[in-house]
Amino acid sequence: MANRTIPRLLQTPAVILLLFWMLIPLGMTLFFSFIRYVLNNLRNPHWTTPSIENWRGFGNYQFVWGQDSFWLAMKNSLVIVTSILFLTVILGVVIAVLINRSFPGRGIVRVLLISPFFVMPAVNAVLWINMILDPVLGLQGLAVSGINDLSAGLKDAPLIGWFFSLWPELEPISFRATQTSSIAVIMMVVWQWTPFAILIFMTSLQSEDQQQKEAAVLDGASTWSQFRFLTLPHLGRPIAIVVMIQAIFHLSLYAEIEIVSRGNGNKNLPYYIGELVNNNIGAASAAGIFAVILANIVAIFLLRMVGKTLME
Amino acid sequence: MAIVAQQSKLSQIIWPVLAWIVALLFFFPIFWMILTSFKTDADAVKPEFLFRFTPTLENYTNMTDNYDYWRFATNSIITSVSATLFTLFVAVPCAYAMAFNPSRGTKDILMWMLSTKMLPAAAVLYPMIFLTKSLGVYDTKFLIVMVLSLINLPIAIWMLFTYFKDIPKDIIEAGQMDGLTTWGEVKEILVPLAWGGIASTALLIFIFCWNEAYWTVRLTTTEAATLSKLIEGNRAPEGLFFGRLSAVSTAAVGPIIVLGWFSQKQLVQGLTFGAVK
Repeated sequence: MANRTIPRLLQTPAVILLLFWMLIPLGMTLFFSFIRYVLNNLRNPHWTTPSIENWRGFGNYQFVWGQDSFWLAMKNSLVIVTSILFLTVILGVVIAVLINRSFPGRGIVRVLLISPFFVMPAVNAVLWINMILDPVLGLQGLAVSGINDLSAGLKDAPLIGWFFSLWPELEPISFRATQTSSIAVIMMVVWQWTPFAILIFMTSLQSEDQQQKEAAVLDGASTWSQFRFLTLPHLGRPIAIVVMIQAIFHLSLYAEIEIVSRGNGNKNLPYYIGELVNNNIGAASAAGIFAVILANIVAIFLLRMVGKTLME
Repeated sequence: MAIVAQQSKLSQIIWPVLAWIVALLFFFPIFWMILTSFKTDADAVKPEFLFRFTPTLENYTNMTDNYDYWRFATNSIITSVSATLFTLFVAVPCAYAMAFNPSRGTKDILMWMLSTKMLPAAAVLYPMIFLTKSLGVYDTKFLIVMVLSLINLPIAIWMLFTYFKDIPKDIIEAGQMDGLTTWGEVKEILVPLAWGGIASTALLIFIFCWNEAYWTVRLTTTEAATLSKLIEGNRAPEGLFFGRLSAVSTAAVGPIIVLGWFSQKQLVQGLTFGAVK
């Protein structure tokens, strides 16, 4: 019987730690979401201490549900996450297939391709929004003014001058603006996470049945139909996993949002909650519970897929 | 037949060239950051010095004066190393017990552990601020170590479990016959056999700790602030400090990228929880 006790004992610290981590903060969020709780209120100072006396029922949920900025945050979250998923999966599949053959320098190509994944999110965002996307001093600004100078210079050239005089003056795009800040976030996260998708798909491609492929070649199957009927079905499961893991990560994007425009135009659910936390804790907690529900919808599918392979 | 041969010869050139172009494009922002870090702040924004400039090391030598780099870097190193060690300290025994003495509940416990990873951080932001401030641990390295350990514990247990599972049970049983204690089993059999797995788990957890950018930003002010916090605090230099900002960024991510190159294979296993092989 001692055989059973020791394994239990060894698991206990990990289980207890995670139980605390899970239950205490989440329990508090759940409690706060049902009471009136604000950090500053001169007229109702009793609201500034969390207490069961200030019970509000589903009032916080109704308040959040009725706020336009909540729905905007929800929309931004979904737009950002789905755009990233769409782009990383397509780029990931194409590039993984592209480098899934032997060619000179393949090792270096792999190393170069995976590098963006290890850049810390704060550096990624600062690098992109300043050094690359800045409309004046970043590479974008320099490129746009370079092209404008070039076409202005060529206007007086003989023969081809008339063509360049029709050329419009290019305007650099400000990626901190309301309309474009989501695009900046999507770009930088796609840059960072496409390598992850490539890596997963490449690993999966290496276990593809080569004999089947050779048979297909002998039968005269085109490269496209090989890809469509053999490779793509083989990648179905990895694609599902990449989608779900990324969905969970990107639903809680924060640093990139903060650095690009401090939520201007790209405010997602975590950022919206972060703003509410400055005063209205009750509402922030209700929004937090909505975020938990949203993440759980994705997580259930992921856990089911991962669970299948667990004891093999 | 000739056409087919020609086609394959052509594609033998086109595809590798395309692969190289894609790889260089992906690496370009990192290259650009490194290149900019060797320009003075004034040169960094001038089109005439895009590629031809006089390289300088001043951004690196002035890093301490400009950003107090080493204070943040030290915090990053201390918290990431401690969190990695603590995570392993808790995860190795746990994964060991699960792999060699699985009970009916083991699968459920593993799934539950993984599900804690799905909890959106923002949902528990205020409780964490509230708890840590009332316990007096807000903005301490201890707190950051604990938080980093907790968010990475499920991944560590999961990875170690998949490594340990592949070790034949007979070896452990033979050890038990020879009268080894549980601690003896771990020390004499498990660690030597699973050394590679433990090391790569440690590497991956270290990278995740280093790059973490939610809790390290929201739960610190000065005392325990890490490199993520430093960079986040300099988010908008308005073009004035591109050179020095590139240098500090390069210093913050360079070592991790190199470490990352060595952990590619484990990354797949660690991030997909063994679901892609």
